[in-house]
Amino acid sequence: MRRRVLRQASLVIVGWLITGAFLAPLVWMLLGSFKTTVDFLAYPPAWLFRPTLANYAQVFADNNFPRYIINSTVVAAGATLIGLLFGLPAAYALARWRRSAIGVLLLAARMAPGIAFLIPLFVMFLSLHLVGGYISLIASHLIFTLPLTVWMMVGFIESVPREIEQAALIDGCSVMGVLARIVTPLTAPGIAATAILAFIASWNNFLFALVLSNDRTKTLPVAVLGYIGYNSIQWGTLMAAATLITLPVLVLALSVQRYIVRGLVAGAVSG
Amino acid sequence: MAAVMGFPLLYLGYMSLHRWSLIGFAPPRFVAAGNFTALAADDRFVNSLWRTLYFTALGLASNLPLGLAIALLFDQRFPTRNLLRALMILPMVATPAAMGLVWVVMLDPSLGIVRYLFRIVGIANPPLWLSNPGWVIPTLVGVDAWMWTPMVALICMAGLAALPAEPFEAARVDGASAWQRFRFITFPLLAPTLLIAAMLRVMDLLKVIDIVYVMTGGGPGHASETINLYNYLVALSYDRIGYGSSVALVLFALVLVCTVALIRFRRAFA
Repeated sequence: MRRRVLRQASLVIVGWLITGAFLAPLVWMLLGSFKTTVDFLAYPPAWLFRPTLANYAQVFADNNFPRYIINSTVVAAGATLIGLLFGLPAAYALARWRRSAIGVLLLAARMAPGIAFLIPLFVMFLSLHLVGGYISLIASHLIFTLPLTVWMMVGFIESVPREIEQAALIDGCSVMGVLARIVTPLTAPGIAATAILAFIASWNNFLFALVLSNDRTKTLPVAVLGYIGYNSIQWGTLMAAATLITLPVLVLALSVQRYIVRGLVAGAVSG
Repeated sequence: MAAVMGFPLLYLGYMSLHRWSLIGFAPPRFVAAGNFTALAADDRFVNSLWRTLYFTALGLASNLPLGLAIALLFDQRFPTRNLLRALMILPMVATPAAMGLVWVVMLDPSLGIVRYLFRIVGIANPPLWLSNPGWVIPTLVGVDAWMWTPMVALICMAGLAALPAEPFEAARVDGASAWQRFRFITFPLLAPTLLIAAMLRVMDLLKVIDIVYVMTGGGPGHASETINLYNYLVALSYDRIGYGSSVALVLFALVLVCTVALIRFRRAFA
């Protein structure tokens, strides 16, 4: 009995230590965002300090930060919604009729480097005078939100019993009607999870936004680079900005925690 | 979907056969495979290729054993296990560009927390992580491992949970030690799962760019310039669209070959 308790206790301690190590940079970022420059530069590091909101005030005061928040939100929401609009019917068709084609297509999409899409898209958007606009950003993000949506939704749709759909078809419902009236409501939780994953992937995307946005449409991951200059880093402000960018994603991710790995298998397209 | 993805790639292939510049008035000029033959002679490209393979190898060598070890630990039942498992997803979803900058601050040679931690364990002069050409790649691998080892661990946990119980019971009855059970039962049965994790990691390691761009910009010198970063610079900073397109195709081919090789290996294994 005592050995069992000891074993459990050591498992808990080691488990917390490992997880703590992985969370430490996030905690450090959060703490740093509440530190004054003096506390930030203290050596040895200040663990106890008087928290300040000055960094957050600074973030909102001197830059176009609110504008970048809006940009990121518009782009991520757009790429998510359009991804669902096209991805949902595609996933339905693939799930019910062409099961075998999905794997190969998605694997190819997963393997292709982002830059292989970015170069042609940049040239095309440039000739259409779309570079720097929301349209080009949203369209480019579809390159990864669409496969992600299809991949996730095929799984959810397959768990819907076919008998219900067949009954509706016999009663004279069209295929699109089945999708809208039966499949969509029945997979609503799955759609929500998929939407959140697509939103996160778009929100975190750096390379596409770096190339396709301009000063007015910059998204947050690109904007945050502005806090690290050549000669001076505004430490606390940088930490506050990083926290503001990351925190929404962390909260969203925890809400769909069960599906995260499945979503990442489909690819958040890095690069 | 095939059309959405296919058209840009076809266009990419078309561009890769041309000398193509956006600034200036010269129209694209057909050079057949000229860009590809030029790549072979481009030292900066060849170096970035080897550097990327080195990065990938270090990434796999760190992610897989660590992830597997964490998964084995979390396969045991203990209080708060599920909470910790949920929290472990956070590094992999945190915005890479922002986290790269946080790491830059933590690795700062004069006031970074990492230096302080090394001091505590008695290493007074750790390397200058990001400004030492020999250390910059391992350091970036470390940051990448921080983000992605939990994913490997979670994939392995799912694999472990799905293993059949009978072989383990039989082994226990036969008096096999914990190490023997791992070596002769867990590991062989989990190998296909590990290969899936390896495949996913290889695809992303070969394409690494975000954290490199943000943390070092490829420096010092070109010491951390990966293929993907070189690709970005050539095509979109130096305006050599055609040449950059050929680099992108080579990178795509590289990912394809490595992934297919791992899939084949997994099939031969199973």
